[in-house]
Amino acid sequence: MAVKSNDKAKITRRNFFKGSTLVMIGGAIASGAASVPVLRSEEPLLRPPGALDEDLFLASCIKCGQCLQVCPPKVIMLAKINQGFGLGTPYIVPREGACILCRGLPCVLACPTGSLNHDISEGSEAEMGLAVVSRPETCLSIKGENDLVYELVNLSDSDQLADSEKLKKILLRLIGKLTPDELDQWKKKWAFDEISVNTIPQILAKLNKENISWLVDFAEGTLQAAQACQICLETCPIKEENPIVFETRQDAETDRDYVTPVVQKTCVGCGVCEMECPTPAPSITIMPRLKWKEGAA
Amino acid sequence: MSKVSGTPVANLSPAQPSLAKSLRKRKGPGLRDISVQENTFPHKWRLIRWGFLIFINFLFFASFYFDIQILEGTLSASRLLGFHLADPFASFQIMLASKLVKVNLVIGMITVVIIYIILGGRFFCSWVCSYHLLAEFGEMLHKSLIKKKIIKKNHVFDRNIKYYFYAIFLVLSLVTGYTVFEVINPVSMLSRMFVYGPGLILLWVLLLLAFEVFYSRRAWCRYFCPVGVSYNLIGWISPFKIKWNVNKCSNCKKCQGVCMVPFVLQETVNKGKSEYVVSGECTRCGLCIDACEDGALKYNIRYLDKLI
Repeated sequence: MAVKSNDKAKITRRNFFKGSTLVMIGGAIASGAASVPVLRSEEPLLRPPGALDEDLFLASCIKCGQCLQVCPPKVIMLAKINQGFGLGTPYIVPREGACILCRGLPCVLACPTGSLNHDISEGSEAEMGLAVVSRPETCLSIKGENDLVYELVNLSDSDQLADSEKLKKILLRLIGKLTPDELDQWKKKWAFDEISVNTIPQILAKLNKENISWLVDFAEGTLQAAQACQICLETCPIKEENPIVFETRQDAETDRDYVTPVVQKTCVGCGVCEMECPTPAPSITIMPRLKWKEGAA
Repeated sequence: MSKVSGTPVANLSPAQPSLAKSLRKRKGPGLRDISVQENTFPHKWRLIRWGFLIFINFLFFASFYFDIQILEGTLSASRLLGFHLADPFASFQIMLASKLVKVNLVIGMITVVIIYIILGGRFFCSWVCSYHLLAEFGEMLHKSLIKKKIIKKNHVFDRNIKYYFYAIFLVLSLVTGYTVFEVINPVSMLSRMFVYGPGLILLWVLLLLAFEVFYSRRAWCRYFCPVGVSYNLIGWISPFKIKWNVNKCSNCKKCQGVCMVPFVLQETVNKGKSEYVVSGECTRCGLCIDACEDGALKYNIRYLDKLI
């Protein structure tokens, strides 16, 4: 009797073995093959410089994150499972922190698999994507507004005076381009003998609701206020050949001239312009993987 | 300090002086040489091993977090003081998926193979892999749950599934052009989480652990993990092995009670086929060395004693 039940146990154990092995193997093949096309239909992410074509990039990335570890501005992130295909692969969100195309491209050098192609060594050779003026209706350049004035007005309207870092940045840029006459006016207002980077904290201390409206008026009256916003070009890390050119075009309906930024072939899609664009939603954005075409912009 | 071990021996009349000698010849469960001292440090190798494992994984974390740059990367690929290291299974997947062979990757892979030929194959599993440590705790929990009769029994799968997985996921890499296995790989996931912070994918690792605790003991490492298979294969040729001293062994089988892959000891201790634990499945964890009250098992380098 005991022997019999033992035999039975053996058989069920063996069957369980066979069955479970088949189930496991079948499950592995089926889920593996099925997950690939399902997960692949995602919007492309902006990859670090030198990334191979998306399919090849996904195939060759070992997901070790060494590119992230060496990134000087610390802008590379690793994709999470809810970002679809490519769990653990590196990407960049330019609005939060853009690639600054460091000298020598440390991320490319760090890549152990060549997913970030070792053939390139300078930022100008990267082909990450292309900047596109995606919101021309908000673009200050097209509207003919100056970015400094725009930011100052925004600050004074929104009670954000506490954001001294931002104000400091604006003041720095404002002071840097003042004409001698404007400098005199400035000194008189604040009762300073000299104006430099060092006096900015003193100005910040003196600022209040009344002063800021004076500041806005002053900024609007300066010579630099006459120039429309060119932040995207000023901050662009590629200096040799301007990736953005401001072209004068004519409105077909009103016959009025307006200026518009046009992205050139030298743009690599690093995203600094998107990061620095002063409008609430960036007027210029990066299209990952997009290639430049004549007359497309 | 030198307590005499083995209650069965103590129960026998200690008056006979030749008892120890006669026991040495008589082999049977629990009968051991009277001269052998009790293990005063029963978890020596386990403590050393856990310390090493935590240290290595902390190095991964600290290299990034504190920017000390000693061991940068994760368990799939890293750089030790600037030298490339790459997991063989991940490397194979990438080469098959991308159809590219990159020098850095090959160098990294060869370095890892050489390192684990020296250290002993699945040394990676028990001394380096962070998932293994979690699974060890899971195993303890599983055993205590069984003891308390909360779980009825442990479910066993076919040990060869991992070899099928190894082949299947390599073929899938080639066919789909994507490293499919890396989507479910808890080893690289956990390592990434230590270095770069946790994500939603932690749920998958916890699910696996729950499966191990409540259904099948250490299922991932034992039956499924293809990452360990590379090191398994390396382990066969590695000379760093557990040596078994037949003359000291009292055949108590305590080693197999604690072993994480008990069948590797059967070939040696039960059947006496070799004085070394030859199987690549052996993780060189040292639990059997700790458990052996006869001092019959120890780490040794095969062929070295013949050379000297």
